Amino acid sequence: MFSLSHITDLVNAWLYQQFPPTLALLLQFVIVGILVITLFSILGLVLIMMERRVAAWMQLRLGPNRVGPRGMFQTVADTVKLIMKEGMTPNGADKLMFNLAPYIVMMVSMVIMAPLMFADGFQIWDINIGVFFITAISSVSVIGILMAGWASNNKYSLLGAMRSGAQIVSYELSAGLSIITIVILTGSLQVSEIIAAQQTGWWIFKGHIPVLISFVIFIIAVTAETNRAPFDLAEAESELTAGFHTEYSGMKFALFFLAEYVNIFVVCAIGATLFLGGWMPFHIGSWESFNHIMDYIPSSVWFFGKTFFLIFVIMWFRWTFPRLRIDQLLNLEWKYLLPISMFNLILVTLMAIMGWHF
Amino acid sequence: MMSLDAIFFYIISAFILLMGILAVTTRKIFRSAIYLLGSLIGIAGLYFWLEVEFIAAVQIVVYVGGIVVLIIFSIFLTQQSGKEMPRTNLSRNIFSLLAVIAGFLLSCSLIHQYGFEAGSQPFDNAVSRIGLYMLNTGKDGFALPFEAVSILLLAALIGCIVIAMKSVPTKSTK
Amino acid sequence: MFIKEYIKDVWGAISSLLKGMKLTGYYFMHHNKEAITEQYPDNRKTLKMADRFRGEVVMPHDENNEHACTGCTACELACPNGTIKIITKMEPTPEGKKKKAIDTFVYRLELCTMCNLCVEACPTGAIKMDQTFEHSVFDRRLLTKKLNKPDSKVREGVE
Repeated sequence: MFSLSHITDLVNAWLYQQFPPTLALLLQFVIVGILVITLFSILGLVLIMMERRVAAWMQLRLGPNRVGPRGMFQTVADTVKLIMKEGMTPNGADKLMFNLAPYIVMMVSMVIMAPLMFADGFQIWDINIGVFFITAISSVSVIGILMAGWASNNKYSLLGAMRSGAQIVSYELSAGLSIITIVILTGSLQVSEIIAAQQTGWWIFKGHIPVLISFVIFIIAVTAETNRAPFDLAEAESELTAGFHTEYSGMKFALFFLAEYVNIFVVCAIGATLFLGGWMPFHIGSWESFNHIMDYIPSSVWFFGKTFFLIFVIMWFRWTFPRLRIDQLLNLEWKYLLPISMFNLILVTLMAIMGWHF
Repeated sequence: MMSLDAIFFYIISAFILLMGILAVTTRKIFRSAIYLLGSLIGIAGLYFWLEVEFIAAVQIVVYVGGIVVLIIFSIFLTQQSGKEMPRTNLSRNIFSLLAVIAGFLLSCSLIHQYGFEAGSQPFDNAVSRIGLYMLNTGKDGFALPFEAVSILLLAALIGCIVIAMKSVPTKSTK
Repeated sequence: MFIKEYIKDVWGAISSLLKGMKLTGYYFMHHNKEAITEQYPDNRKTLKMADRFRGEVVMPHDENNEHACTGCTACELACPNGTIKIITKMEPTPEGKKKKAIDTFVYRLELCTMCNLCVEACPTGAIKMDQTFEHSVFDRRLLTKKLNKPDSKVREGVE
């Protein structure tokens, strides 16, 4: 159907024709870098706008409605404000670490984007360990948060960083276990193969109950991993002012803010890829004509539609549930999510061996 | 003219060495942990360069996500960890330098004697092969070490639970 | 049994969370109808205040420039933070007697907490709470107000 791989192949061929291979490779790096940065800024603008609108509507407010038509340019105005602000470094801070931390958090969320498949044939790096790569790299982002908390030389920041560290380290487990269920069903870690396995139907339908359980656990765990309400203990306003980024201002704060939203996008994209078929259109088994009609919707629309649906769900959580206490948070992980996902893993393995899925 | 591959190799190696040197020479303990982290990430980068992605990702998960986070946590929980440490005296510096040189010469001579040869057959790094070897009981299998390590980990887990467990006050039966 | 309790726990948690999400989901879908935001100052003309809202103390005067304040100072005594100060004067009545009446009813808006105690204390209903709320001025002396209008008199028959 409408595959973007023609365009990417065309660009690739043209570059190798025009330049020596080394230079062509470097030029491709540059193009990919520019595309990722562009996606970053667009995502930041769109997601923050969406968050505000969703929050307002759920709280029976109107939301931003002054800048531009229906307030659409509010985030642009905010970005301009943040760029113009002075980026201060406190006197007692560890200056190098303080200034490095936002960039580490940012770089991590950029690198995680590499194996994501945005549309049919549109992917930066189809690495053979796909989802494992994502789980591995995302564990680095906690280092950036710990660095920020430590280097600020502020007790709120340090407490926020500690909380966030404990939270991310423990919720990574159940997120990883629920990713493994899909890996067991597919038999591959590669993102393109996971998507190809959902040609006849998305895993959430094909794998019925066990996959549904692991989907719910995945959503809960990634909400915790991205430090969002109801798991926003790391930046709980009422207790820790702003947690690990209390001392940050201007563009450095904006980088943290942006990285948070891009992380949400990335984890939702992973969820959409694993459970909802990525760019794969909605197919039902062997209904040829129905599948054919669905194929007419472009694959990027499917991908972004699913991803934004999951983002909406996570925002829905945020504006509905109250914040957990730290002991409740750890109880939830170690006494509920982890045992359930381990049991679920056995169930899925059994299902994969016996071939009980569709 | 060096190929791009070689340039990447030297950049990554220089990064690892620089981070290693900084980790032992800095006088702030938290920075030391971060430089160690940089060195470990560099090694993961080297694995990526070798196209053994699985090992690279394991390196990041285990060392960066696990061990360095633990180290940082223990630094956070120690008192006065924000202060600069005192300068080491000269004799200690000299001895550590000698130890470094001795270690360097030893590994150099070992590498020289072994004489690594470039493999001729194409390199297969499929993840499924690692899994098969890991649980294989045959000639090239690693099932026994795998199980031995799991028992070790289980023992460590049980030990942690025993240490952390509160002793429940037993009801006096008289 | 432990397992039964555990499953009941999980089920209770999930169902109560879903109940919450159902409510916010309803709000999200019906935000046009349910939104309660007042777009002040755009809707200053049509703004409707809630009945309970109290903005400031006023003294209503009728068309003959007469009010109902007898100068009994009950409100001044009732006020918890000295917002009201009543300056009285003796005024001659037609019968030749002298009668107490107010000279100035001083009301200091910056001290008022809108507690409504003065209105409740007033025996003649001379003061009441108004709903105006745009009180900002550039000089705080303007917040000290004189509630009785110049040359106003106490209404006939109010004792």
